[in-house]
Amino acid sequence: MNVRGMNFDGITNKVVFLYLFIVVCFAASMFFVQHNHSLYERPIAEITETKLIDSSETIDMKDNKDHLYNQSIVGELKNGKEKGQEILLENTFSASGTVDQEYRVGDDVFVLIEKKGSSSHLSGSIVELKRDTYILFVVWVFIVVLLLVGKKQGLFSIISLAVNALILSYGLDIYVHSEKISLLFISGISIILFTVISLLLINGSNEKTYAAIIATILGTFASLLITYTVMWLSSDNGLHYEEMQFLTRHYKTVFLAGLFIGSLGAVMDVAITMSSSIFGLYEEKPDISIKALKASGMEIGKDIMGTMTNILFFAYVSGSIPILVLYLKNGTPLFYTLSMNLSLELARALAGGIGIVLTIPIGLYISILLVQRKKARA
Amino acid sequence: MNVLVILAVILYFLMEFIGGKKGARSFIAIFLNFGVILVTVLAMKEPAIDPVVFTLIASVVISCINLFYINEVNSKTKTAFLSTMITVVILLFFILILSDRAMIQGFGKEETEELGALSKYVGVDFVKIGASVIIMSTIGAITDTAIAISSPMRELFHHRPFVTRKELFRFGISIGKDILGTSTNTLFFAFFGSYLALLLLFKDLSYSWEEIINSKIFSAEMITILCSGIGVALIIPITAWINASYLIKRRDKQKVTG
Repeated sequence: MNVRGMNFDGITNKVVFLYLFIVVCFAASMFFVQHNHSLYERPIAEITETKLIDSSETIDMKDNKDHLYNQSIVGELKNGKEKGQEILLENTFSASGTVDQEYRVGDDVFVLIEKKGSSSHLSGSIVELKRDTYILFVVWVFIVVLLLVGKKQGLFSIISLAVNALILSYGLDIYVHSEKISLLFISGISIILFTVISLLLINGSNEKTYAAIIATILGTFASLLITYTVMWLSSDNGLHYEEMQFLTRHYKTVFLAGLFIGSLGAVMDVAITMSSSIFGLYEEKPDISIKALKASGMEIGKDIMGTMTNILFFAYVSGSIPILVLYLKNGTPLFYTLSMNLSLELARALAGGIGIVLTIPIGLYISILLVQRKKARA
Repeated sequence: MNVLVILAVILYFLMEFIGGKKGARSFIAIFLNFGVILVTVLAMKEPAIDPVVFTLIASVVISCINLFYINEVNSKTKTAFLSTMITVVILLFFILILSDRAMIQGFGKEETEELGALSKYVGVDFVKIGASVIIMSTIGAITDTAIAISSPMRELFHHRPFVTRKELFRFGISIGKDILGTSTNTLFFAFFGSYLALLLLFKDLSYSWEEIINSKIFSAEMITILCSGIGVALIIPITAWINASYLIKRRDKQKVTG
């Protein structure tokens, strides 16, 4: 790796050009997304004036105090036949903002136009905020931070995220449009693709990567097998599928497929750490004994096991915080709230943890097997 | 038998069998962290407590568990702790401003049906709770990266006591770069797995691209994924800088006194 951006005398024209290119792309795309109204079919209005009409205090059945506000809003239409005309809108929002929000001058919103014959102004209602500008902004911050910190590795992480998201989206398209192919089969194929592409991007094409790919696939399928057996033996006791949101499909398959994909990143991380360190030890000391390799490998495994299970745990469980708060505020008993809203997340975290721990010995033995083969050839 | 109990027992035995005492301690750490999340939820329920302040407190406790309990209290974990807190504060402010502007707090219209009879006017600030969610989902990965960088920097310093600050910093960054890909990957797939049902809903109801991108729920999840990536990247230079400064300062002090 000779790309060292921190080194100012080492900056080449190529690097300068790359940064300039990124700045231009950033500016151009931000400008575009702020002026892309004509590309939308839904009418969009820019808010030019807001006025608070009234506010009132509400107390619900559980004695929760909140404030409700009414806003009258004037907006200017930005696209369609009525472009340039003013539109009168109204909005009700609460201080907590659970399902509503206060709109401010300058916000772009999607609106439904309802014409009224008597008044000269158009009137209508707000559908939702135009959020594309913000999404694009975060995407750019993400790209810039990853490139600045990670350089080439940062670029590969960005590519890996984009490619994996595309594969997932494409896989789901196939699933939705064909009746015969099961979701588990599609996720199985996607998982193999995800693993191969991500690991090749992160680590390059070499023996370490091959060992990690095999270990990841074996580890993931082993943990799936265990989880599935447990679910089958206990006939899903304790799992509350009714908490699953947005269900348009058979819940159990969607849950299993999500569980399968969710732990994949963590399992890959463990597999690549194991194979890199085993191969690293061997390259440093080619006459190292298999026994010593095993012992060091297990030590490394112990070190990463705790942190990896923790990462998964937080990523899964934290997402449920808002719904837990809402349930508890509505006076639902604590234990019921937890079992209704957390059972699937906990199951995912535990199954992921099992995958992580299993991948440690699997990764270790596969790496040692490949090292032995290399030794025999040398 | 309850699925969760069986899975927990299997996980415990596997961790204990492969990881020995440290494995058992890591297993207990998960339960401690679960306790912290529970307390956080209970605290956020109270309108008098600011969720942002409480998120910071929770981050301190979680970092203590992940760094000081699983590992040990030493200067390595202390610098990792400091770096974690700095990163969390920066990230928290970024997310707060962003989620306020992009209005991604609370629940989207796709979710309201499920909330049904629940009262939505409960008097807590969902913008702040939402920001706290993103911090909490990333904190595991942030502390992990911090410790993964500060340990080898310490090793290098031991082996080459006369290393310069610039060399140390660069070494830290290069370690960080190596783990950046795998840490972001871990988080991305965890989120992909959780959002699978949502993606299927979008496909089944044939949402158009523009409807997906502008919907509250998709924006919220995109912002969560990207901010977690930003957090994992930000911790790298921060940890490298803090460790480099700390190690060099300690050496200079020793020179003066010795």
